[in-house]
Amino acid sequence: MRSNPLSSMAIHGVLILYSALALFPLLLIAINSFKSKKGIFRDPTALPLGELYSTKGYQSVLANGDFPLYFGNSLTVTLISLVLILLLGAMAAHGLTEYRFKGNGLLGLYLILGIMVPIRLGTVALLELFVKLGLTNTLTALVLVYTAQGLPIAIFIFTEFLKSVSGEIKDSARIDGLSEYRIFFEVVLPLIRPVIATVAVFSMIPIWNDLWFPLILSPGEETRTVTLGIQQFIGQYTVNWSAVLAALTVAIVPVLIMYVIFSKQLIRGITAGAVKG
Amino acid sequence: MSHSIPSGSRWRWYIVFFVAPATLIYTVFAIYPIVESLRLSLFAERDAVEAFVGIDNYKKLFTEPYWADQFWNAFKNNVWLFVLHMLIQNPVALALAAILSIPNLRGAATYRTIFFLPTLLSVVVIGFIWQLILSPLWGITPAFMNFMGVGKFFAPWLGLESSALTAVTLISIWQYVGIPMMLFYAALLNIPEETLEAARIDGLNGWSIFWKVKLPLILPTLGLVGILTYIGNFTASFDLIYTLQGGLAGPNGSTDVMGTFMFRTFFGFQAQLGDVNMGATVASSLFFIILIGVSVYLFGVQRRLQRYQA
Amino acid sequence: MATLELNNVVKQFGQVEVIHDISLSVNDGELMVFVGPSGCGKSTMLRMIAGLEELTAGDIQIGGKKVDHLPPAKRGIAMVFQSYALYPHKDVRGNLGFALRHAGMPKAEVTQRVDAAADILGLGPLMKRRPSELSGGQRQRVAIGRAIVREPEVFLFDEPLSNLDAALRVHMRVEILKLHQRLKSTMIYVTHDQVEAMTLADRIAVFRDGVVEQCGTPLELYKNPANKFVAGFIGSPAMNFIDSNVVNGCAEHAGQAVINMPDGDSNHAKVSIGIRPEDVRVKPDGILSGTVQVYEHLGGEAYLHLLLQDDQNLVVRTDADSAYRIGDTVRFDVIDSKLHLFGENGVALPRQLTS
Ligand SMILES: Nc1ncnc2c1ncn2[C@@H]1O[C@H](COP(=O)(O)OP(=O)(O)OP(=O)(O)O)[C@@H](O)[C@H]1O
Ligand SMILES: [Mg+2]
Repeated sequence: MRSNPLSSMAIHGVLILYSALALFPLLLIAINSFKSKKGIFRDPTALPLGELYSTKGYQSVLANGDFPLYFGNSLTVTLISLVLILLLGAMAAHGLTEYRFKGNGLLGLYLILGIMVPIRLGTVALLELFVKLGLTNTLTALVLVYTAQGLPIAIFIFTEFLKSVSGEIKDSARIDGLSEYRIFFEVVLPLIRPVIATVAVFSMIPIWNDLWFPLILSPGEETRTVTLGIQQFIGQYTVNWSAVLAALTVAIVPVLIMYVIFSKQLIRGITAGAVKG
Repeated sequence: MSHSIPSGSRWRWYIVFFVAPATLIYTVFAIYPIVESLRLSLFAERDAVEAFVGIDNYKKLFTEPYWADQFWNAFKNNVWLFVLHMLIQNPVALALAAILSIPNLRGAATYRTIFFLPTLLSVVVIGFIWQLILSPLWGITPAFMNFMGVGKFFAPWLGLESSALTAVTLISIWQYVGIPMMLFYAALLNIPEETLEAARIDGLNGWSIFWKVKLPLILPTLGLVGILTYIGNFTASFDLIYTLQGGLAGPNGSTDVMGTFMFRTFFGFQAQLGDVNMGATVASSLFFIILIGVSVYLFGVQRRLQRYQA
Repeated sequence: MATLELNNVVKQFGQVEVIHDISLSVNDGELMVFVGPSGCGKSTMLRMIAGLEELTAGDIQIGGKKVDHLPPAKRGIAMVFQSYALYPHKDVRGNLGFALRHAGMPKAEVTQRVDAAADILGLGPLMKRRPSELSGGQRQRVAIGRAIVREPEVFLFDEPLSNLDAALRVHMRVEILKLHQRLKSTMIYVTHDQVEAMTLADRIAVFRDGVVEQCGTPLELYKNPANKFVAGFIGSPAMNFIDSNVVNGCAEHAGQAVINMPDGDSNHAKVSIGIRPEDVRVKPDGILSGTVQVYEHLGGEAYLHLLLQDDQNLVVRTDADSAYRIGDTVRFDVIDSKLHLFGENGVALPRQLTS
């Protein structure tokens, strides 16, 4: 199976075919976003060269003026939630694996329950809660929800990883005189670096892409995220194809960049057994 | 490893410091809302005050035709969604993962990156992309199908009652195949090289190694993927359908799923008024549906599959 | 440098008591080895000395001061772990100096101490490497270096060599011995390898199930084991035990009197005779005999596994140039003065030497 040239060709054939299936739609959109409306319809698969080339779509996206705001909102929400998930998740996982205390096992179970029970089921009560707290149409509401939503998986992965780490290094730090707090920040955090990337990507995707909570908790003009913004923008401009395509492309690019930056670590984290069945 | 550190006081504050923040946020913004939803499903608004009504809301949901029709329609659609994901998405994911895990495969990293790419993108973006591609207006798909000689089979699938749900599901599969693929891939890579070498020495070839050694060894991951598919199918499917087909999940409710149904019930849509308690009732029903699935997984599937390990 | 006293130390994990009332004292500058089978509580004892586990009862004194309520860093100890426990994100220099810098020692002094330790252990060329770029032996040396720089009163080692391959283990064992001779500090060394224990120790404490069975110099333990357990644990290959009936004040085997019981001891009807493989002399006119079942030749010496007449087994050392085949009958004598006697409860009986 390893060195048979025929089967090797067949394998690459399958892989290339599937790659085309995965990439083609995205490329199609990206290419056509640089064309005029006429160009988009006359020759959808041609490259945006010569007279086909046009940035009209991007101009109307930018003219809309709100996209930088949406991006800012998404970025703020995603980054703050991510930091909270990683930090609080790692802290909790450390607390649960490192110390023996009453109810330890139960608390651990409670904290990862959320993997199985989607937080969306509590939307009704969440909205009421945020109304009471005066947090509707704020980014804070989103951050809090996403943090709560991301914690279980993060705690689960960190806990599994920390269990596999020898406790001796922490004892060694204790003998070196570090306080329990500094042991976490100076020894444990650097130790879990390999899984942090994995947890980060897995937590980030659903936050950046979420439509449900922005739609319900903060649909206001000022607090719209990119995903919601695109959804609404496209709703308004369905006839302006250049603008729609440009907006879609604009929404893809930042994710793509982050993915390229993180993908190596992500794969390493996954294959290091961080995500186990 | 657990440790008890000599300390003057009984109360070890650092433990509180480590576990309290996560526990607090999680309790207030994840567990409390779900519990509160369960509670709300037992109440109803009577003369502008909330009154305890027992399981009346559930009775209403399952017996009044207006509610029951919608509920069972959404439920049925969800089941179809689940079946298609299980039959197409997960086998494709497994096949891709199996190919990618062939030792020394050239370009494996690149393929992996490409296959996972759609998963990263917003459902909204994906939804619109496919809407454009499948649109008869643009004509990409008809042109392509003509080129392949099957042009006469083209139809505006997303707009037809008979095919809309399947079309939406296929889009979802296209997008999310990357996640089970990664899980399978990681599981396959975790199989010790010695086990595979031993199989080779026992005379098994590539195919039989996959079927008789690798597959049994990754059964637990298969179970995990199954339950994740089940949960995601009931909740995450909202985004795509809302984007593609709108809150009414048209045409004529043919793509309505629990997520969109819950959304409409809670917030109202167009003429329909929102109803907090009925929304909570739908959410709670969904909670029990998921609970049943998870229990089956934890007590039936997972336990049996775990035996294969070690 | 300091003495170490353990007074009536008890440790419970929940309801389970794993250390039962152990008292022990370690002299200044002594290398004490804790040895015993897996799970007997060696690490737990060591971790209590280090301050990583709380005592359930009793107290610990280092240099005459009670340390029970001091945190690990304040006890004047340093510890070397089996998994080395190096900080993966710091290079060798960073690892060596970490505790000192943390304690607020001036930079120049840290550098000086680190360099001195690196010198002793030959780590000079490796100072800029991360732990992942070191071999097992090098990592072990860094771990030891990290203990040295702290100039502790007491060194604690928890199976520091068990992750190394056999050759390296022997080499590092010698290095630790040299280190002890050079620093002359008090050391406690945990191992389950009795060869390590015999070669390193000034004194050995043999642990079993949370109690110290015997404590003494390696030779004391070898020559006068207090009970069957210690006798079987110390020495390699292990001591043979032959069940024997006492007849007329004589412990006999297969109808043949082997050794006289101690004077006036008439309480025992059955005893175990302890015979070390090296205390048997194979000779054609020996009074005892057995058939060869396994013949192990190690080059410099050889071992016969004999089946005695009443189906008991005996391992015997012979010289290297003898040749045996499976099934041969071998006759031998035992050296009376080196035999051991154990009562039915396993406790050693005082011996009455006869000839
Ligand atoms: N944190 C703990 N909680 C409960 N029981 C423990 C804990 N640590 C150790 N034990 C128990 O205490 C006993 C002694 O363990 P310890 O680690 O001291 O053994 P050891 O002599 O070091 O063995 P080894 O040679 O295998 O390292 C064992 O039975 C072990 O199961
Ligand atoms: Mg131990």
